[in-house]
Amino acid sequence: MIQNMLICRCEEVLLADIVASIENGAGTLKAIKMETRAGMGICQGRTCRMLLEQVMDFHTDINVQEANNLSYNNPVRPISLANLSRSGKDSEP
Amino acid sequence: MPMKYDLVIIGAGPAGMGAAIIAASHGASVALVDENPVPGGKLRGQVYKEPKANWWIGQEIARNMEKEIKQLGVTCFLEREVWAIYPKWKIMLNNGEQLESDYVVLATGAIEKPIPIPGWTTPGVMAIGAAQVMANIHRVKPGNRVAIIGIDALSLTIAYDLKMAGVDVVGIYLPPFNEFSLDKSNPLKMIAYLSSLSHLAPNPILKLLGKLGKQASVQKLGVNYYPPFGMRVWGIPLHLRKAVVQILGDELVEAIKVTTIDRSGELETKQEKRIPVDCVCISGGLYPLVELANVAGCAFVYVEDLGGHIPLYSDEMETTQSGIFVAGNSTGVEGAKVAMAQGELVGAIISNRLGLLKHGTELIKQAKEKVNVARKNAVIKFHPTIESGREKVLHLWNEKAVK
Ligand SMILES: Cc1cc2nc3c(=O)[nH]c(=O)nc-3n(C[C@H](O)[C@H](O)[C@H](O)COP(=O)(O)OP(=O)(O)OC[C@H]3O[C@@H](n4cnc5c(N)ncnc54)[C@H](O)[C@@H]3O)c2cc1C
Repeated sequence: MIQNMLICRCEEVLLADIVASIENGAGTLKAIKMETRAGMGICQGRTCRMLLEQVMDFHTDINVQEANNLSYNNPVRPISLANLSRSGKDSEP
Repeated sequence: MPMKYDLVIIGAGPAGMGAAIIAASHGASVALVDENPVPGGKLRGQVYKEPKANWWIGQEIARNMEKEIKQLGVTCFLEREVWAIYPKWKIMLNNGEQLESDYVVLATGAIEKPIPIPGWTTPGVMAIGAAQVMANIHRVKPGNRVAIIGIDALSLTIAYDLKMAGVDVVGIYLPPFNEFSLDKSNPLKMIAYLSSLSHLAPNPILKLLGKLGKQASVQKLGVNYYPPFGMRVWGIPLHLRKAVVQILGDELVEAIKVTTIDRSGELETKQEKRIPVDCVCISGGLYPLVELANVAGCAFVYVEDLGGHIPLYSDEMETTQSGIFVAGNSTGVEGAKVAMAQGELVGAIISNRLGLLKHGTELIKQAKEKVNVARKNAVIKFHPTIESGREKVLHLWNEKAVK
């Protein structure tokens, strides 16, 4: 029953999906993300990023704090395309 | 066209406002950005009586700081989310505006950790901080019969807030043991944790548990003698031997399923009880919100005592990206007074860099002392070992500088 909890609400990924992904060999948080889409929704992992760390920590011997390879990317907050285009070209890094 | 300022501050909580007031009072042109319609950050939800002194009314303090900011001519960009920082340094707001500055303060505060348990995504379940915002800021009851899951400084404080708001708090419970709760589900560990927080706590239950749990042997006794029916604090049952194993309800929260934890820490599943509630608050602790430091390219360290991953910072609160400073809970989770003092310190440091101070060294020294005093006298401590966490960061910074 516990395995049916939703972990990534945006992409509707269950705890069971994440554990299965680890059991199938996903050895990094990024691998879990790529396989399950956890953390790829509109909130950009603001809720489940830490939960993914915890699942990995619990189910593997990997030191997740050191091995965390999830990056943060711009935009860190949702932004409409209209406002993005208003930001202009000179905003590119 | 980007708008230029001497200093751009992101986050108008006590840290960001503290920095803005000091820098602007020395003559810097300051922009202050926050996603909320009103400045104040988490300060606005805080109401409690200080041990020997007066009531700490966050909304009033925030309003006074806001007045000062306006008088000093700080430009406020409210209801704007910062979605990116580009070198060196362009701050992008989500309505299309752009700010530019050599100096940026990240004062984005902390956010809550969830503890998933079965049923945690049912409407009517919320993070404990949301209940504080509803009750103390908007004066709306989050529910009529509320259960709280997770025992810590914040959940006890907010349980009291809810009680004052006229909510029937049916109990404060432990989460069940799982990937996410770990030690937070262990009665013995929770007594030890609570006792470590108790020395200055404004709140009588923490004091009581402090006395109960100073030594390991007493802690064990504490669990054994802790009545399975809980102990009442201001009429709220505090259950160190009961876990909420499931939240029930299809469209809305209807009840919680509660199980007793036996003396060895195991769940007695035969003893499950259904308790009707219409709202559940989960408290999983706080961690620093650091996404902007990350996209700005700051180096990070993991320091458990401060709440997790934080940008590495110097004794001048500067990150490894020159010109980007940090203040407040985004550097480690502490109370509002510490955050405010950290903000003022950063305000002084940046004013000095801008060449606005005559006696900069002296002022900065005083501001640093103020942070230490605030930390020492803090009435609320989220991490018992915060001081050693702060020292660890400086140590790591110096190590890096040597390399
Ligand atoms: C739910 C909760 C309850 C708390 N309760 C207490 C309490 O009862 N007592 C106590 O002493 N401490 C409490 N704290 C700790 C609290 O964080 C500090 O007291 C203090 O408010 C920290 O100040 P700060 O300025 O660092 O951050 P905050 O007060 O959190 O202010 C940060 C501000 O930055 C804004 N922000 C963040 N990112 C962006 C962005 N990208 N764009 C625009 N704006 C942004 C936020 O919306 C917020 O307004 C609580 C914290 C939380 C999270």
